[in-house]
Amino acid sequence: MSDEPSEIPQGATRRRALMLGAVGASAIVSIRPALAQVSASISTCEIQVPDRARAGKYIAADGTPVPAGTKGAFAPASRPFTGQEVKQALAGGNLPGIEYERSQAYTKYIRRLQSGTSGFTCFASLQMPRG
Amino acid sequence: MYRAAAPATLRIVPLDDLTAIYHRASGITHLVASPVPELLAALSEPLTLVRLAKRLGEEFYLSDGEALAARLDELVASGLAEQL
Repeated sequence: MSDEPSEIPQGATRRRALMLGAVGASAIVSIRPALAQVSASISTCEIQVPDRARAGKYIAADGTPVPAGTKGAFAPASRPFTGQEVKQALAGGNLPGIEYERSQAYTKYIRRLQSGTSGFTCFASLQMPRG
Repeated sequence: MYRAAAPATLRIVPLDDLTAIYHRASGITHLVASPVPELLAALSEPLTLVRLAKRLGEEFYLSDGEALAARLDELVASGLAEQL
């Protein structure tokens, strides 16, 4: 009779320890030169409205996701928008192929994207200073 | 559920103890330490926190399960993974 082995006998396994670090520590440093050309990334990144975690929700005029079918809210976008399209909309333009009010609601939704939401990194890259 | 960014959007270069990850979608380069590359590899398919811990446990000894959630939060905040 014995308890669970507290130490693995040598040669019994090839598993190595994965050090997960302290809760408050950081394992990631993010770098982005202010002078970096962002045109390539803007043209390739995409933003879904709403993001996948909230797929099917409608977008209210103020940009908040609301239950499907909510009166006065807009149905989800039929396709993701590219960074370039969003950039033009944020500068006061319209998202392509979409009427003004709907574009305004979608743009407000995109402005409210939080870190960790699908599409946020693309949105954030649009906000970065250009060289 | 958590999932790593699509492999086609990441350029991953091991640099001795560190790994440089260029995220094409955002144009941001991330300099990461272990366990981030291991987490990204495990998250090539969507996994819950519990299933991720189990998957990692098959290959590694996990030093601290509580810190796993913190590392995941960090991954999501960086854009290298997303919470579904």
